[in-house]
Amino acid sequence: MTRVLLVDDHPMIGAALEMLLRESDYELLERARTASEATKQIANLKPDLLLLDVHLPDASGLEVLRRLNKSRGRPKVILLTAGMDEAQLLVAAELAPEGMVLKTSDPGLLIGCMDTVVGGGRWIDPEIAERTRHAEDRAASAPPLTRRERELIELVRQGLRNRDIAAELGVTEGTVKVYLHAIFDKLRVENRTELALKAAELIRR
Amino acid sequence: MPPQGGDVLLQTLIAPQSLFKYQSGRVIALGRVILATLFMLAVWLDPSEPVSAVAGTYSLLALYALSAIAIAAVTWRNWWLDARLAVPTHAADMAVFTAIVFSSNGTTSPFFLFFVLPLLSAAIRWSWRETALTATVLVLLYMMAGLLIAGTGTFELERFIIRAGNLLILSLLLIWFGIHQIRTNLFFRTEEFETGLGVRDNPLARAVGLATQITGASAGALVVGAIGEEPCDGFSVIGEKHRSFSVDRALVRDTAPAAFLYDVGRDRAVTRPPQGRFHFASAYDLLDFDEAHRLGLGIGLASEVKTSTQHGWLLLWDIPELSTDFIDLARELGRAASFVLDRHALFAAIENGAAARTRLSLARDVHDSIVQFLAGAAFRIEALKRSAGSGNAINAELDELKRLLLEEQGEIRGFVLALRRDRDIDLTEAVAELRALAERLSQQWSVDCRITANGARASIPIRLQLDLQQLLREAVANAVRHGGADRIDVALGVDGDRLQLNVADNGSGFAKGKGQRVTEPWSLKERVERANGSMRLVSSPGSTNITISLPLAGAAA
Repeated sequence: MTRVLLVDDHPMIGAALEMLLRESDYELLERARTASEATKQIANLKPDLLLLDVHLPDASGLEVLRRLNKSRGRPKVILLTAGMDEAQLLVAAELAPEGMVLKTSDPGLLIGCMDTVVGGGRWIDPEIAERTRHAEDRAASAPPLTRRERELIELVRQGLRNRDIAAELGVTEGTVKVYLHAIFDKLRVENRTELALKAAELIRR
Repeated sequence: MPPQGGDVLLQTLIAPQSLFKYQSGRVIALGRVILATLFMLAVWLDPSEPVSAVAGTYSLLALYALSAIAIAAVTWRNWWLDARLAVPTHAADMAVFTAIVFSSNGTTSPFFLFFVLPLLSAAIRWSWRETALTATVLVLLYMMAGLLIAGTGTFELERFIIRAGNLLILSLLLIWFGIHQIRTNLFFRTEEFETGLGVRDNPLARAVGLATQITGASAGALVVGAIGEEPCDGFSVIGEKHRSFSVDRALVRDTAPAAFLYDVGRDRAVTRPPQGRFHFASAYDLLDFDEAHRLGLGIGLASEVKTSTQHGWLLLWDIPELSTDFIDLARELGRAASFVLDRHALFAAIENGAAARTRLSLARDVHDSIVQFLAGAAFRIEALKRSAGSGNAINAELDELKRLLLEEQGEIRGFVLALRRDRDIDLTEAVAELRALAERLSQQWSVDCRITANGARASIPIRLQLDLQQLLREAVANAVRHGGADRIDVALGVDGDRLQLNVADNGSGFAKGKGQRVTEPWSLKERVERANGSMRLVSSPGSTNITISLPLAGAAA
């Protein structure tokens, strides 16, 4: 039996997967609803396979995967997603989980993916693979971030307001705004919240 | 195309005018130079003047003429010096006037001119108050000088009294000139009607109210329409009666000038372009008399109102003491009315923008929630298929799936209803909707979520209703996910112009542990900030209390 940990906060998905795996070769150990719960349970239960949702209430599933990649002997990981934007697709490709499945695809594909991954293979949903290629093409033509811009993103991530960022960097509030808008354009985000969310993934690239 | 002869001539004629346009400082300085020079010349040519202190008078006049030239030279292109020197030179002008009264009191004394200069410069530069003050000081100085030289050979009582009378008349004229300027400068003092104009106010009513208040008119109306169409929507104030109306035909004809006075009974109208001559017309040529009679128009003023999107007419009648000056005033009132309409349109656009953003974010949430639900349902059906394939009974599972589908249907219906609504609702209606949502959320998250309201009455704008529903969804989800709560109490109330929402739960709270700071739920916080509201979180193990305060109106940001 392969021991599986599910990390997903949506009640419907949780109940459905529980049923789906009930009479299979997979044993569903537990269901974590948040990234912090997941980290604890991975340490405690040491599952063989992780079904990991990208959208979690407290952090991105990609953050969880990044932390796992840094630790030794992580379980095999299948990312479950209802849809990722370009930035997330690029990060996901870099973090290289064993499998990626779209929740909107045929549920039969998930079992197939799990079988492949447990057998030592890799399975990426064709739609995700296609969109990742597109995202990589576009990213290759996008202007790179400057050192100053990266600094500023880090401060936005810490939840600082423009006034505080200006004081920190020794510039005026107006300059901070100009920088921010340049960053919004480069990263194709709309506002600072979106930036703060995506920055976690983008700043490391 | 090369300039034609006529154009060149016109340019030459206009050039000096532009030299003094918006240059009252230059006009005053140049006036002083001419006055000082002419006066010196007049005294020199007239053998009877000066009557006393000959050497002193000539030196004073020479000094005055030279300083007048110097002041004109240094202030010609220097607005700062012009402003700085305004008061000292004003005092000097008055001092010179007094000296001249002393030294040249004969029949031919041209001292009168020296009286005009400070008075006129005060009227040009400052308001009527400074003009009145200058006039008072000058008349007093004149009286004092007169009394000091009374009894000397050159003093003539009769002439003294006539001149004093002339000074008074001139003063009054110039003071009136200053007061008059206040009224025609109305457009530059718009602060008073900027305040308090809300998105839910009727802008037509505000504009008419403002115009009647300024002119003292007891009746007024504003008719507007989209640019390119006939103005047809109107609002009128006649005495105490306020009403909205619509007209079938244009009340003011296309050929009408931008501002005019009319007398419907006598079929007269008069207009005057800015700084131009009067034009007389028949009122019938400017107004549609059928509509005019229907509205009750008598004698009054009409002014064109043009905003970025609308065009129309402001009409006022029954104005006490109507005069031709009201033509200029009418033009300013038209601009003021346009300002009110434009400002209101801006507020409405901001509010609509905020509602659209909320709708968009709600639509995104609906999409996400539906996708997750349908994906879950598909997984479940796949599981059922496999289960049935192995010969298991699946009836109970099918019933459960059916229940979930029906529940989701209710949820989607609620979402769509909120998205489609386009009017404000009453607080009680909003509370009823929130209760229905709380019931669904209770089932979805297996918790007990209850809503209480303090029974206050208030009108809730669309954007706020949408926000409230999303806030409830997020608050419940947070309480369960982060705190593992199973009981959530939501209290809703109105406090003045703000809506207060209190969410209390029995979960483990947001406190991470001893010594660690409370992390605020960012998604909730962001939504509250977008609605210009504020949020306070008190969290301890076993109880979390979030108090959210949202403005009922003007929350757009």
